[in-house]
Amino acid sequence: MSYRRSLWKIMLDEFKRVEQELRNLEEEFYMRVKGLEAMRGCITPLYNVYESGDELIITADMPGTNKEEIDLTVGEDYLKIEAPCRSPARRIREGKYMLHVRFPVEIDPETVRARYKDGVLEVVAKKKIKGVKIKVE
Amino acid sequence: MEYSGNYVEDVRIVEVEAIGEGSVIIEGFPDVGLVGTIAASFLTDKLQMKEVGYIESDALPPIISVRNGKVLDLVRLYSRDNIVVLLSEIPIPLPIIKPLSQKIIDWAISKKAKMIVSLTGMPEPARLNIDIPKVYVLGSNEKVSQNALSIDGVEAFTDGYITGVKGMILRESIKRDFDALLILSQAHFNYPDPGSAAEILRYLSKLLSISIDVKPLLESAEELKLRLRDLMRRTSQAMQDVQKSRELELPAVYL
Repeated sequence: MSYRRSLWKIMLDEFKRVEQELRNLEEEFYMRVKGLEAMRGCITPLYNVYESGDELIITADMPGTNKEEIDLTVGEDYLKIEAPCRSPARRIREGKYMLHVRFPVEIDPETVRARYKDGVLEVVAKKKIKGVKIKVE
Repeated sequence: MEYSGNYVEDVRIVEVEAIGEGSVIIEGFPDVGLVGTIAASFLTDKLQMKEVGYIESDALPPIISVRNGKVLDLVRLYSRDNIVVLLSEIPIPLPIIKPLSQKIIDWAISKKAKMIVSLTGMPEPARLNIDIPKVYVLGSNEKVSQNALSIDGVEAFTDGYITGVKGMILRESIKRDFDALLILSQAHFNYPDPGSAAEILRYLSKLLSISIDVKPLLESAEELKLRLRDLMRRTSQAMQDVQKSRELELPAVYL
């Protein structure tokens, strides 16, 4: 019984240690993001990358800019965004949005389309199809 | 933060000023699109509600908030005219979600509160294509659901998962036979969504028969999104802890 209990305690301690390490990593991530932003005077927007069928969709939350000023560069496996960011209330330039994302799959840059709506930039691209079609018998 | 105490005992709701009986409690803790937080904060501001208490727990991070030279607790209670609002400046840590939910319902029952209303976003991947987000409701019992559905333009939430503190408050309310209502509005999953919060407020103003003009909220939407970026980033992480992405799924039904 006491052997079981001590084994359980060891496992519990190990779970707690892993949980603490994850929290430390999380905190380190926030520190790095904020540190980088302060150092470079830029803002890393919140963003998402996901695959939907044959498309790769990237969205970035970039309030306080306008579509004419968004500098968007897309390669086969990356995307770069730069845009000024202004505080709409104070009408002052808060900084500059900068985002560099590497894609999980290659895309065809010729197919990329983008729109900016309600402060969110959406970029949609067709994935590069590799391989050959096989007929199922 | 490592912690090995009794979470239920550690969660304390402290009233700095006595809160009367018969209130409607509105909970706006951060989660999907910070919809509940934006809506509840706007409500406290527009109704000029007064800070009347706070929630403390040893499991909350050792942080204080300072605004205009005033020290504030992280999880606070505001009140005016039989409406109490619960707000938090941080996502609720996973270990205290259940005990906090239990404590809130214990407290609501002890205060003979009329009902607890949780405000939240419903993750919608195609949110960019939606101009006016739909509002859904789910009550802890038939009477609450029917009353909530009697207002035009709202739909019943029928299938899906509700994770985190909102789900636990509803579950605890059902167990304790207490009236609770969950109001959800289609929202960006991890971008602050003032547009979605505005729809919830429009609905809430009809439900509680209070006047709320959401125009200032919509006008300051971009500013709010900028200011709430860091809270959203931390909330996204906390949402992973409670498997919030499950709200994009349908429950597995075999029968």
